[in-house]
Amino acid sequence: MSFWRSWGWWFGHGLFERRKDELDEEIRAHIAMDIQARMERGQSLKEAEAAARLEFGNEGLVRDVTHGQWRWNWLERLTRDLAYAIRVLHRSRGFSISVILTLAVGVGSACAMFTVVDRVLLRSLPYKEPEKLIEIQEAGAKGALQYGAPYLDIHQWSERSPALTQVAFFNYNRVRTYFLEESNGAAHVNAPAVSGNLFATLGVAPSLGRGFVVKKGSGAVDPQDAHAIILSDTVWRTTYNAQDSVLGKTVRVNGESYSVIGVMPRGFSFPLGTELPLVWTPLVLGKTDAAREHNVNPNYQVIARLRPGTDINQANAELKVIQADVAKAYTDPYYREDVSGISVQHYGDTLVTDKTQKALMALLGASALLWLIACVNVTSLMLARATARQREIAVRGALGASRWQIVQQLLLEGLLLSGCGSLCGLGLTVAMLKLFEHGLATQFSIHEPLMPNLPVLAGLLGLTIASALLISVWPAIGAARAQIEPALRQGAPQQGAGRAQHRTRALLVITEIALSLTLLVGCGLLLRTIYALRHVPLGFRTEHVIVAQMTIPSYKFAGRNMTTELYQPIVDKVNHLPGVEAASLLSQAPMDHTVNMEFSLGRASNAADDVRRSTIRAEFRAVGPEMQRVYGFPMVRGRFFNEQDTATSQAVVLVNRAFVKAYYGDERDPGAILGEHLLSLDKQRHAQVVGVFEDERQVSAAAPPRPEVEVCIPQITPETGFYTGAEGVAMDLAVRTEQSPSTILPELREVMRKASPDLADSKFTTMDQIVEDTFGSQRLAADLLEIFGGSALFLCVAGIYGLLAYLVARRTREMGLRIALGAQRSDVMGLVLRQAAWMLSAGLALGLGLAYVTTQGLKTFLFEVKSNDPWTMAAVTVLLLIGGLAASWLPARRAAGVDPMQALRAE
Amino acid sequence: MQGTLAMLILRTLQWGPSHGYGIVQALRTQSGEILQLETGSLYPALHRLERRGWVSSDWKQTESNQCARCYSLAVAGRKELRDDLDRWKQMVDVIGRILHGEPEGGEA
Repeated sequence: MSFWRSWGWWFGHGLFERRKDELDEEIRAHIAMDIQARMERGQSLKEAEAAARLEFGNEGLVRDVTHGQWRWNWLERLTRDLAYAIRVLHRSRGFSISVILTLAVGVGSACAMFTVVDRVLLRSLPYKEPEKLIEIQEAGAKGALQYGAPYLDIHQWSERSPALTQVAFFNYNRVRTYFLEESNGAAHVNAPAVSGNLFATLGVAPSLGRGFVVKKGSGAVDPQDAHAIILSDTVWRTTYNAQDSVLGKTVRVNGESYSVIGVMPRGFSFPLGTELPLVWTPLVLGKTDAAREHNVNPNYQVIARLRPGTDINQANAELKVIQADVAKAYTDPYYREDVSGISVQHYGDTLVTDKTQKALMALLGASALLWLIACVNVTSLMLARATARQREIAVRGALGASRWQIVQQLLLEGLLLSGCGSLCGLGLTVAMLKLFEHGLATQFSIHEPLMPNLPVLAGLLGLTIASALLISVWPAIGAARAQIEPALRQGAPQQGAGRAQHRTRALLVITEIALSLTLLVGCGLLLRTIYALRHVPLGFRTEHVIVAQMTIPSYKFAGRNMTTELYQPIVDKVNHLPGVEAASLLSQAPMDHTVNMEFSLGRASNAADDVRRSTIRAEFRAVGPEMQRVYGFPMVRGRFFNEQDTATSQAVVLVNRAFVKAYYGDERDPGAILGEHLLSLDKQRHAQVVGVFEDERQVSAAAPPRPEVEVCIPQITPETGFYTGAEGVAMDLAVRTEQSPSTILPELREVMRKASPDLADSKFTTMDQIVEDTFGSQRLAADLLEIFGGSALFLCVAGIYGLLAYLVARRTREMGLRIALGAQRSDVMGLVLRQAAWMLSAGLALGLGLAYVTTQGLKTFLFEVKSNDPWTMAAVTVLLLIGGLAASWLPARRAAGVDPMQALRAE
Repeated sequence: MQGTLAMLILRTLQWGPSHGYGIVQALRTQSGEILQLETGSLYPALHRLERRGWVSSDWKQTESNQCARCYSLAVAGRKELRDDLDRWKQMVDVIGRILHGEPEGGEA
């Protein structure tokens, strides 16, 4: 305290003390001259002095008003007020700390949510004028988007649409891993192939070296650069130590040699949100690009830049006309239908799904609610304190402080409190972001540590000022209106002013209860959703199953059969490890999002049935024969794969119940499909359906089962069509163990490492974790809302307790009098409890209405529970009721325990 | 009237540098003992004029060996005074015309 005082004194002193001394001297000189003049006129010293002082007037006032004219005067006043505010807050430490912590919780959570929203929804893309970038996709007659377009179509767009300046295309697979060979092992990267004009389209040039040479007239990379490569800043720094000499160096990616020609600037990424660091390989057009034939020509994703002065609608209109023309070039009427439409979207909009946006806005809203609750709580505390400080403020008024000065002082105190709260809140923000790192990475593909940045800090400043105003405006208005004289009168209880204030505080507590109820209902709904998701029958066992992702440079096995040479021996070894019940290969574990292989049937003829079947989109999975023993899903008809299914035996496939239903289009006996020839493994082998297995959840617990086709891994050889499709994509190994999976992990790792050093750092996870991750958005939302709701409940209970305890303390004399006059102690207790019950019921009624409206925003999150679920509402209401009554019990007991003699004697 | 006090002070300082007491006395004698300047207005006004750069101040010794702060007219103050006087004359002119003027025959 003395430190603050001396600091404030020193600060003021340094700036103004010399000028103050001078002013004093000036005034003294004035009076001295007057006295001398009067004495010369014959007055005595005493008379002259008295007259001079009388004529000069109030010295102090002259000094003060003159101060007011100085340039930095406001700074001095501010310093003084600040020093005073610090002293006042320091004196009531308990109060200050509880206010600061309450605000920290509110501001911290709002700030954390804002950081996420800023990163996901508001970030500016690392490209030039990103709002001019659009993504173009071909679309079917019914609006189904195609994954990519043939070069011929892209060329038409770029040639004929005046609204587009540049049309770039690229080939990118999110889940594919490429191996960048270095001296010790290989770095995992992703290597999209990009057209030569891509970087120019994005408006970003390499920071080192040059970009690809563009082939005239096509936009693709000129063949002279067919073996050039461009590195991202990350790769350049981590793998090549940021050396300029990297230019011209030969590097090998997936066994192929490239020469480094450029490095992109720091922070640049295309596409955005990749898990692995990037390098870019050249997209050179080949012979097949001159065709528009299904499964012959490669398809590319397209990003284009709008010409200045045009907008997306214009591009859309032009492309629609062009595409109608382009579609005519397709000879097959069914494929023509698939490309008859076009979809044009701002590139920025394609990065965030509508669902994510809604989810984030709902969570941001929840955090804002918590902030509001915190502010309401603090306001209530501030009001109580304003009552206690009435006399102090009246004294200040009596000593000449203007109302405006008093209001200023109170606002400054509010700002100081909220500033401290925000600082603590910032720490809380960082902690919360750290805590939810995993959830943020899986849900919003944020792979780098998230920190509040400049816009967030600006937002925080705004929030600080808003909190300061919210919490101090009410007390300040009260103080400005208060009459000085009655407050100064000895021992006068301020009944009149008090009652209005109690009503205000009761209103605040009611608001708080209502807002808390809303948050808690949201939290309850999500917890029920999580519960429901956990209890969905998945169709397979998840406990004691480890999944290993075997990311391996498959190009090293070119011309050889990876299954027999690498994977099968691993499976055999693992199957013999003690503690392993079964192990199986599979292309993708159920509910794992890493790979998404889809399959549709080729069309045998143009018969109606064949056309319908060709539109079935089925999950495609290659599995080992031991798969059923690992996951334990039941068969509906027929058999599962077994050891007799080999590369030389009859080719077989399995389908699930959902597939059968889609295949026949009716509820036929699933057994009917057995023996059908669905697909060919290669030119000689037509596969036969030998079994139908029960539906399982492939994508998430909430998504209904989709049609699925499974092939047997031992039957797949390098000649098989799917073999190349799965190349570069990690094969999974699922292992069912007897005990907890962690016990077997070291041995498993050892088997992998022995099989191939490249497998040493394979990723291991458990089936339980994979399933848990699919709850991601709900889990994240539930976790956040648990924190928000819990804090709200706590603040709410504290608010109720605070108000009642305060009221009881103020009414001690009245309670004593009542008891002295014969009131039962239970009557007095009832008095307090009635007050609590009144506030609670009003708050809960208001809150239920509010919750009914606001939980509509949660709809996209909910699963098997309605947004106005009566059970959740009832449970939360009861919870708050119990909490509230418990909070009022203590003050009620204190009121009942008042000793009438002491209470009456007190004043 | 707004700015009149500043004008009077600047006008007084035109005769030469003076301290606060001197300004009060000068204004009193010049006004024929009618105008008694309040110190509560004089000193804030002097400090305001100094902040605006119209006057500058210096500590000087008076004849009676009293140390006092003397204000003198700065260049900017000279110009300000000229403008003030012009404005004042115009104002007096306008008000005078309203008070003493006779309704002139309208040119119908």
